[in-house]
Amino acid sequence: MSLQTRLKGAVGPPDNDSRHLLDPHARGIPGRAAMRTFDDADEVDLLIVGCGAGGAVLAQRLARAGWRIVVLEKGPFFDPDSDWVSDEEGARSLYWTENRVIGGEDPVELGQNNSGVGVGGTMLHYAGYTPRFHPSDFETHTRDGVGADWPLSYWELKAHYERVEAELPVAGQDWPWGDPHSYPHSAHPVGGAAERAQDGARAVGIEMRVGPVGIPSGTFGNRPHCIYRGFCIQGCKVNAKASPLVTHVPDAIAHGVEIRADSMATRVEVDERGRCTGVTYVKGGRERFQRAAVVAVAGYSIETPRLLLNSTSRRFPKGLANGEDQVGRYVMVQGAPHVAARFPDLMRMYKGPPPQISSEQFYETDERRGFARGFSIQTVGPLPIGWAGHVLADGHWGEALREYMRDYNHWTTLGMLCELLPRAENRVTLAGELDLNGMPIARLDYTQCDNDRKNIAYAKSKLYEIWEAAGAQDTLEIDRYAHLVGGCRMGTSPEESVVDRDHRAWEVPNLLVADTSAMPTQGSANPALTTMALSSRLADRLVAKAAPSASATGAVAVRRAVAAA
Amino acid sequence: MAPDFREPHHLPKHRAGAPGPPPGLPRQRRGTTPQMRGRYPDHDVLARAGHWDAATRRLVLDRVENPPPIRFFDAREASTLAAFCDTVCAQEAEPRIPVLAYVDDKLHGGRLDGYQHAGMPDDREVWRRVARGLDDAAREHGLDSFAALPADVRREIVGAFADGDLSGGVWDHMPPDKAWGVVTRSVLAAFYSHPWAWNEIGFGGPAYPQGYARMGVGQREGWEGDEAFEVDPVGDVLERGAE
Ligand SMILES: Cc1cc2nc3c(=O)[nH]c(=O)nc-3n(C[C@H](O)[C@H](O)[C@H](O)COP(=O)(O)OP(=O)(O)OC[C@H]3O[C@@H](n4cnc5c(N)ncnc54)[C@H](O)[C@@H]3O)c2cc1C
Ligand code: SF4
Repeated sequence: MSLQTRLKGAVGPPDNDSRHLLDPHARGIPGRAAMRTFDDADEVDLLIVGCGAGGAVLAQRLARAGWRIVVLEKGPFFDPDSDWVSDEEGARSLYWTENRVIGGEDPVELGQNNSGVGVGGTMLHYAGYTPRFHPSDFETHTRDGVGADWPLSYWELKAHYERVEAELPVAGQDWPWGDPHSYPHSAHPVGGAAERAQDGARAVGIEMRVGPVGIPSGTFGNRPHCIYRGFCIQGCKVNAKASPLVTHVPDAIAHGVEIRADSMATRVEVDERGRCTGVTYVKGGRERFQRAAVVAVAGYSIETPRLLLNSTSRRFPKGLANGEDQVGRYVMVQGAPHVAARFPDLMRMYKGPPPQISSEQFYETDERRGFARGFSIQTVGPLPIGWAGHVLADGHWGEALREYMRDYNHWTTLGMLCELLPRAENRVTLAGELDLNGMPIARLDYTQCDNDRKNIAYAKSKLYEIWEAAGAQDTLEIDRYAHLVGGCRMGTSPEESVVDRDHRAWEVPNLLVADTSAMPTQGSANPALTTMALSSRLADRLVAKAAPSASATGAVAVRRAVAAA
Repeated sequence: MAPDFREPHHLPKHRAGAPGPPPGLPRQRRGTTPQMRGRYPDHDVLARAGHWDAATRRLVLDRVENPPPIRFFDAREASTLAAFCDTVCAQEAEPRIPVLAYVDDKLHGGRLDGYQHAGMPDDREVWRRVARGLDDAAREHGLDSFAALPADVRREIVGAFADGDLSGGVWDHMPPDKAWGVVTRSVLAAFYSHPWAWNEIGFGGPAYPQGYARMGVGQREGWEGDEAFEVDPVGDVLERGAE
């Protein structure tokens, strides 16, 4: 037995105390009451827009290095005890439900399926899968002639994957795919619905492993054990599922970060020299301006481009950092159809976290399949409203709908994540309509390419093979998408990217993009862990260049650090 | 006839065209289900409310006990659309889940879903136009309101809507398939967020702070009702009488 196996669940991260800063008897974040605050006129070292996966990790890391930081977050600072409910329809407050226009030939339905709002970001209501990307994801252009090469490699990110996995922490079996690795926590027990899927997969030679999920297997500091109630996507009232609210925000606050909730950034402002000076935002109906030496935008793949596109000035008439018309381009979603299958026994797929087992056996390119790149297979556990959407999508309403619904407990569902390729014309632009703050709403156009369609069709046929082998009595199918990636991608030149390998805008030296929108490709892995690992790496790079800046000259040192990174 | 629900014969794809609930579907014995039928006759989620956390209990009980009043739609729209919702959800008898009340409340409160297809109107306008479109269809059958149509004609029209087969009038400026997506999204959310529907399908409900412990194939918590197959005496007599 290796040392790592022996120590499973026993060692916590040394440089993040969030788990101990939580209250064992209440779910709200205890440090909030004593949180440090900054004046709008005070030039902070770093202002981060968005307290999600990317923004919260960056704040936590740099706060520990002494940076003075404000995070603006549009959504509320939730208290899971009083603000969240164990109810599907009642979880709407976690979703970004302000209007967006969708277009293109294969429009992506947004709302509850794609982005969240509130301190903790979209991970408050993500499912909880936390796979790494494969080394190949960072060089798909070189290897497979599609997509784009990243300006950094898997190996530069590996140490940060390990760090973040220890912080969430991630539970799962030893992982054989990509760069093989193990997880800090052992795998969770598997429910009946996932067991069936695993049997079917085995029968056709597909290996599925348990995990990886950002849910500790056991207690973790003051975070309780998962109670397997299956409401992960509706927000975990237990504090078992990892999200920045419980994994990074407590430690960030303890190190002096101000998280200013209910604050919507509307413009990043610049001076005549083309440097950011701070951010205009709306809080409580009043427009305000926070000064900052450096601005990091971390609002996710739609809001980050939207904010930059709206930040026009004489110097940047097409939007901030958009001189080359790259902002908002190469937005990706994963093809995520589900195929559900019916069996004689009751499996009650509402029990346990929706993410239970997954396979990355089809992740890499296999030329015999007739398309580049691949897909992964994962269990999902739709609750009743979600299940009704599946039944309707398969063409049933009225009595047929009711009967398939009554049959709910006999069904189990598998989904795919197909790697769809980045395309310049899949992009975020500003629509004519204005929101309540007078800011133009976003429009997302999306059209699949031929490779995408082939990938999805092939992946679906694999799911049908699994279910047939498992002896399914009936199947239902729904076409859908999952996740958002890209929109302000990093690259090696300003002509084809928005930021460089250190997340710094080519055109604005003190502007960073620190979220999922910086990713040039998406693989067929869920993106949250990689987003966090990228911010962890970025923080390391910035700290290495800057002296701690608690002094009055801090902002100068920080600016220099960002410029030098 | 299938001896129980282990076999799939009762499923719509296996009994093409057969209207109505399948044979063997029990009457509800504990608690309420829509139309008092259900697969789990002794499963009453609401009996568990004392075990839920306060925030969830407040929300779910309020949903059941205080369906919101109609404020967004006018009386004519409301009667047409209530009939539409009941057709989509196959609610031809009491007790009914008041689906439209929840839809109306959502639209009245402006709690929309976060996206709008390019070229489509706002969801609120989509609903109003759907009401007009359904009444137009009723006029082709000689009646002034969709709500006044016999059930089979309502089903025929809703079937055409589901298949995107409506044209003329409001449909010339609003693709029926996109409109179908907008309205059904809210209908399904209203119906399946209601504990009566959870009873019918055997869903365990909120389950916090208690959680679930028995997750394996064929297992259930002690308080979860089991599935039952039952011969309904009236239906049975009718069926055998007809043979
Ligand atoms: C239903 C669902 C399931 C998912 N499941 C998984 C999964 O299993 N595994 C996985 O890896 N990923 C999953 N994801 C995706 C994952 O959650 C996201 O990829 C990730 O959280 C994105 O991180 P981010 O930092 O880019 O943005 P976010 O986490 O979304 O953070 C952005 C924050 O910025 C705020 N913001 C935006 N604009 C502004 C502004 N102008 N002013 C102020 N604040 C602003 C937003 O309110 C938000 O809180 C899922 C997503 C959804 C919706
Ligand atoms: S299943 Fe576990 S992780 Fe998911 S919401 Fe429930 S307690 Fe939280």
